[in-house]
Amino acid sequence: MRNLWLIIKREYLERVRTRSFLILTLLLPAIMTVVMILPAKLATMGEKAQHVVVVTSTTQFGEMVRQRFLSAMTATDNDDDDDAASSQSNASKPKPEQEYVIDVDANPTDAERDVLRDKVSSQAIDGYLWLTDDAIASGKVSWTSRSMAGFGERARLSETLNRILQYDRLSSSGLTAEQTERLLKPIKVEAVRVEHGHESKGSGGSKFLEVVVMVMLLYMAVLLYGISVMRSVLEEKTSRILEVLLSSATSTQLMAGKLLGVGAVGLTQILVWVVLAGVFAFPAMAMQPSFSELQIPLGVLFAFALFFLLGYLLYSTIYATIGAITTTEQEGQQLQFLVVIPLVLSVFMLGPVVRNPDAPAMVWMSMVPFFAPVLMYARIVVQTPPLWQIALSLLLLIGTIAGIMVLCARIYRIGILIYGKRPNLPEILKWLKYAKA
Amino acid sequence: MAPTSPPVSVRSSAARNRAGTVELNVVRKCYGDFVAVDDISFSIQPGKIYGLLGPNGAGKTSTLRMIIGIIVPDSGQITVFGEPLKREHKDRFGYLPEERGLYKKMKVLEHVLFLAQLKGLSSAEALKRARTWFDRFELSAWTGKKVEELSKGMQQKVQFIGAILHDPELIVMDEPFSGLDPASTVLLKDVLLELAKSGKTILFSTHGMDQAEKLCHSICLVNHGRVVLEGDLNQIKAGYGRCNVQIKYDGDAHFLQESRLVQSFNDYGNYVEVRLAPSADAQELLKLASAGARLSKFELMEPSLEEIFIDAVSKPAVEKTNA
Repeated sequence: MRNLWLIIKREYLERVRTRSFLILTLLLPAIMTVVMILPAKLATMGEKAQHVVVVTSTTQFGEMVRQRFLSAMTATDNDDDDDAASSQSNASKPKPEQEYVIDVDANPTDAERDVLRDKVSSQAIDGYLWLTDDAIASGKVSWTSRSMAGFGERARLSETLNRILQYDRLSSSGLTAEQTERLLKPIKVEAVRVEHGHESKGSGGSKFLEVVVMVMLLYMAVLLYGISVMRSVLEEKTSRILEVLLSSATSTQLMAGKLLGVGAVGLTQILVWVVLAGVFAFPAMAMQPSFSELQIPLGVLFAFALFFLLGYLLYSTIYATIGAITTTEQEGQQLQFLVVIPLVLSVFMLGPVVRNPDAPAMVWMSMVPFFAPVLMYARIVVQTPPLWQIALSLLLLIGTIAGIMVLCARIYRIGILIYGKRPNLPEILKWLKYAKA
Repeated sequence: MAPTSPPVSVRSSAARNRAGTVELNVVRKCYGDFVAVDDISFSIQPGKIYGLLGPNGAGKTSTLRMIIGIIVPDSGQITVFGEPLKREHKDRFGYLPEERGLYKKMKVLEHVLFLAQLKGLSSAEALKRARTWFDRFELSAWTGKKVEELSKGMQQKVQFIGAILHDPELIVMDEPFSGLDPASTVLLKDVLLELAKSGKTILFSTHGMDQAEKLCHSICLVNHGRVVLEGDLNQIKAGYGRCNVQIKYDGDAHFLQESRLVQSFNDYGNYVEVRLAPSADAQELLKLASAGARLSKFELMEPSLEEIFIDAVSKPAVEKTNA
C-alpha cells in the first residue's frame, strides 16, 4: 500500500507539473468556448447596422416591404417567435438588435440606379434591392451589394422576399388579411422527448453536442496522456529505473500506481473544467440564447465524469501495454492504432447510436468496453438506458481495465530483458504464462 | 599454464557452516537456448565485501538480478538473510543497477527521497540523511536540479545515495565504479569500506580487477555463466604462489628470453614483470639477470588479480565439478 501510494503520488505530480497539463486543462476549455460562441458573436457583429435601400414603384409598397423585412430579420434570431413575425403588429414588438437600417426609395429610374450603385461602391450604403413592379412581374428582382454575403444570407433574403411577395399577391387577389395569414402560417415542429415521464424540450442538436464535447475531450486527453503513459513506461524500461523500482516494489504496484496516478490527473482535469465552466462558461452561455437549451442535468454530468475517467484509464492502460511491448517510441507509435481504431469506431457509431439508442445492436455495441466510454455515455445523454445496462457496461469496463493492467504488469516485468527487438505475439504469450507478476 | 592448479573453493569448513547473508545453490538461468548462468553456487558472509568478477557477458548481471528477485532462476535456490527471497526482504537491501536508472525529469532531491520512501523510510528521516550524503558526495549544490542536468558521474553518485539511504543490510551493486572519476572512485571505495566496517554486507560486480583487489574479502570469478574461481581473496592468491618477479634493471635484457626460466613477461616501461616458468627457480633468474644487467629491484610477488583472472579465464572451466 505504501509503495502504491508513493508511486501514485509521483506519477500524479510528475504529470500535473508539466506544461502540457496546464495547456490541456486551461486552454482546451477556452478554445472550445471560443470555437462554440465566437462564430455566432462574430456573425452578428459583422451585420451591425447594415444600411440597405429598397427601390420600389410606390412608397406604400416599399414601406410594407420594409416593415416585413425588419420583423422577419428579428424573428430569425429566435424561431419561437415566428407567429409574431407574420402578424402585422410588429411595431409593438421589441427589437432586440437594431441590425438593419432600411430606407425606401420610390424613384425607380436608371439615374437613381446609378446614384445607388455609386453609393454602394463608396460605402455610403451596404446595398440596394431593386424591387420595382416591373422587376417583380418579370421575376428578376436584383440585390446589389459589395459582397455576396451580408444582409442575412442570400438564401434567407429570397426566402423572406418570396413570403412578402406571396402575401402581397394573395392580398391583392382579394383575400382578407386573416385568410392570407392562415394560408402562409408556417408550421414549426417542436422536438419533445419523454424521460422518466417528464417532457424535455432539448433538441437533438444540443444532445449531440454534449456527446461530441465528451468525445473531443476524451480524444484529446487520451492522445496527450496516453502517449505520456507509453513514454514513461518506455523511459522506465530503457533508463533501467525499472530495475531499481522492482528491487523495491512489484510490477503490479508500479503499473497500478502509474495508472491510478494518471487517473487522478484526469479527475483533476475534470474538476478544473467543471469549476471553470461554473465560473466562466455558464454565464456566457446564458447570455447566448441558443445555448440556454444546453442545460445539462446533474446525472449526465456525473455520467460524463465517470465514463470520461474510465475511458481515459482504459486507453491509458492500452498505451501502457504498448509501452511495455515495444522498446522505442517510434515502435510504440506504430502500435498506436490499437488505441485509435476503437476510438474512431466509437465516433463512427455515434450517429447510429444517437438516432437509435434502443436498437439491440446499439445496446450491445455500447457494452463493448472499448466503445462504452463514448457509446454508453451517448445513450445516457440521448435516452437514459435501463440501469442494468449501465451497470453491466461499467462492470465490463472496469474488469477490462483491471485485466489489461495485470497483463501489462506481467509484460512490463519481462520487458526488462528486452533489448532491441520487438517481441512477436507468441513470445508475448509465452511471457504471460511465465511471469508470475 | 599455472604451476599449480588453484583450488577452486578455498573457504574453510567453519565458514561454510555459517549461514551467509546471500547463498546461491546451483542456480541456473537460461534465455532461450543461451545459458546465462550455469549452476552457480556461492555464499556471502555478513559484513564482507564480495566481488563478482568476470568478462562482459559472463552472467554477472543476471546473477545479481536473481539475488534481488528481479528475475527468477530456472532452477536452484537462492536465500537472502537465511530465507528464500520474500517481499519483506526488499526493504533490507539496496540495489544499484549497471545502467543508471533515474527519472530524467525529476529533481535530484525528490528522486532520492522517492527511492528511500519506497524502501520504507519516512520523508523527514530520508531528508535528513540525504543532506548528509549529498554533502559527502559534493552534490549539495545540485539537489534542486533535474537529473538530466547532471553529468553521468554525478547521476551515478545520486543513484548510489538512493540505493543506500535506507541503510540496508545488504548492498548489491552492478559495476559501481564504471564512469566515476578517480576522486569519486576513491570516495566510493572509502564509503564502501566504512559500510562494511559497520556490518553491512556488500556484493558488487566488476570487470575492473583493481577495485576488487583493493576492496574485496572474497571473490567469485565467473566466465560463460560458470564459476571459475571462488573464495577468500588472500587464500586464492596464496594458492597461486609467488611465481611473479618484478625486476627493475639497466643494461642487457637477454635474460628475459631465457625460456627455461621465463614463461612470459610484461614490460611496463619502468619495470618488467616476469612470470616464472613452471618449476623454475627465481634464484637462477636473479643470477642470470645480474650477470648482464644492473638490477635496482628484484622482488618476488603475489600474482595480481588481473593475472589470476586472465589465467583462469583462458583455461577451460574444468573445475565446475569441484564447485
